Amino acid sequence: MFFHNFKYTLKALLRNKGLIFWTLAFPLIMALFFNMAFSNIEKQDKFKAINVAVVTNEYYENNTMLKETFELLSDENNKDRVFDSKYVNQDEAKELLEEEKIDGYVVFSEDSQQIIVNKNGVNQTILKFVVEEIVQAEDTADIIQEKVENIFNSREENGIMETLKSIIILLQNNSANIKDNSDANLSYMTIEFFTLVAMTCLYGGILGAVAINWCLANMSNVGKRLSMTPVSKLKMVISGTLAGYLIQLVGVALLFIFTIGILKIDFGNKTFEMVVLALVGSFAGLTMGVAVTAAIKTSENAKTGILIGFTMLGCFFAGMMGVSMKYLIDKSVPIINKLNPANMITDGFYSLYYYDTLDRFYGNICGLCIFSAIMLAIAIVSLRKQKYESI
Amino acid sequence: MENIIEVKNLTKLYKKKKAIDDLSFDVYKGEILGFLGPNGSGKSTTINCILSLLNFNKGNIKIFGREMSPNAYDIKRKIGVVFQDVAVFEELTVYDNIDFFCGLYVSNNNKRKKYIEDAINLVGLQEFKKYYPKQLSGGLLRRLNIACGIAHKPEIIFLDEPTVAVDPQSRNNILEGIKKLRSDGATIIYTTHYMEEVEMICDRVIVLDKGKIIAKGTTDELKYLAKIKEKITVEAKEISNQNLNQIKQLPEVQNISYENGILKISYENEKNNLENIIDFLKNNQIKYRKIYSERPTLNDVFLELTGKELRD
Repeated sequence: MFFHNFKYTLKALLRNKGLIFWTLAFPLIMALFFNMAFSNIEKQDKFKAINVAVVTNEYYENNTMLKETFELLSDENNKDRVFDSKYVNQDEAKELLEEEKIDGYVVFSEDSQQIIVNKNGVNQTILKFVVEEIVQAEDTADIIQEKVENIFNSREENGIMETLKSIIILLQNNSANIKDNSDANLSYMTIEFFTLVAMTCLYGGILGAVAINWCLANMSNVGKRLSMTPVSKLKMVISGTLAGYLIQLVGVALLFIFTIGILKIDFGNKTFEMVVLALVGSFAGLTMGVAVTAAIKTSENAKTGILIGFTMLGCFFAGMMGVSMKYLIDKSVPIINKLNPANMITDGFYSLYYYDTLDRFYGNICGLCIFSAIMLAIAIVSLRKQKYESI
Repeated sequence: MENIIEVKNLTKLYKKKKAIDDLSFDVYKGEILGFLGPNGSGKSTTINCILSLLNFNKGNIKIFGREMSPNAYDIKRKIGVVFQDVAVFEELTVYDNIDFFCGLYVSNNNKRKKYIEDAINLVGLQEFKKYYPKQLSGGLLRRLNIACGIAHKPEIIFLDEPTVAVDPQSRNNILEGIKKLRSDGATIIYTTHYMEEVEMICDRVIVLDKGKIIAKGTTDELKYLAKIKEKITVEAKEISNQNLNQIKQLPEVQNISYENGILKISYENEKNNLENIIDFLKNNQIKYRKIYSERPTLNDVFLELTGKELRD
């Protein structure tokens, strides 16, 4: 009975043109549009370094590492040049910003660094990101320097060993720096594609919703009939949603094939982790669809609308319409993106692409698993009901 | 007669309103039991309570001598349900729909193939096997709905208004199919608000109104409940008031009405009434175009018991 229901649910889902459009075709169309829209912007911006000013205060002048890093990143002969830097005092920097001759300026001090911009945009986001990475690297270097000095000052062998171990751990923990600063790696188009994958994973919720709707007596006429069959609801629900999950995975796979194979988008080379993230992300989408369907009594179209709306809003917050939104949400209301499955998936791909370590990736995987568990709990509580007050 | 379903003191409330009010009845093996009542009388609610789809406030339901519950899969295996609303997959063909639902009861492929063919033949959908539900007319869709509910050859079949909004050809096909199912051994519970259907196929009838049983028995037994035993209709353009008063005085006449050239006379018994009225018309030289006699219908019974028409 399990396979029988799985087979026919799969058949019915595949023949539902609306569903197939939203879950398989729509992401491909979006990918095509993204590519057409953003590749031109990227081409225009590709070799254009960001105009910045660095305030040459005492702290900056005395910090060799900061100076050298900025000079390197601003060197006209460097093919990976990121900044076109001007070294000025604070008043001049303000003036340059007001006249919109620069995208922002940076003031370094002992305790912190200030990045002053007068609007949100891609350049400003990159500026903030790169400066933070420089400062983080500088901090790491300082700590290592301090620990190395400790080694030379230490007279106990055990103390030396412990300090060396802590340096290794520190290096491992802080190796999450940008791999390089090449144009490819600073591509903000890539993040749009990460959100697109997130959208495709979450759209799978619609498939789960439809499959579940068919199983519930209080939701559909077919559900009433299925409730009268000698097959347990659990079996029907699992086999039905499994069929939905399969189609969802096909949708994600098609998107990867299309974007990587045809549009030549670079998703990085951590294939295994990418597959794991797609599987977990799709499962989160599926459980979201199941929970919405089981818990909310409304028409199938309304449920589809809720799922599409939630997914699109989540993707918007995750940076689908511009990476600055993700930055703004992360900065202003971080809880939203911490709970946002679209952001967890996007951020997972982002961390796989930009970071050498997997800590952030595992954090996102854990977040998605917790999200799925909550959705499943809602679904189970709602699905346990076998008799209704009205149908 | 073997009891196959026992319903005792079934009561179901929607908020404070009683949708079913203390219903008790039995269904006997091999019969077609009709539930007759206007829309909103509680027919579908009763069926849904029996099937354990709806919670109820009071009462006891046994099928095959056992308490019915959502997990009573061995009982469900022997039940077929045809709901009022069409419950099929739009995305599957006629054949696939029947195969899907039948397959949830019958896992043996060969046996299932035969059952599906039998169901298709019973409802007359042989030419439409590869059609999708959207391509079918309302009547054919209803037939598909029935085929999906009965293909697994259940012992008890619930049919909830299966002929609503169908063409006469499909209606006849459906009613003939139901009789065939009964002759093959099934017990059928049939709800409708069409009294002609009840008269045509049901062995016993339960008449419901506002969630209560207001009468039950065979159609003849129910008709016996009516005070009117015969109705005679005369189409005559001109009948004087004096003649109308004289007709009122004729033996056994219970009531008369005369509107738009149509005279309707109700009688308390059915002896020689037609002969008497024809004699009266002849003797008083009243010209008439048509005259005919009818037995009381279930609608008359319902009208008498509730003061309203069945289809009000």
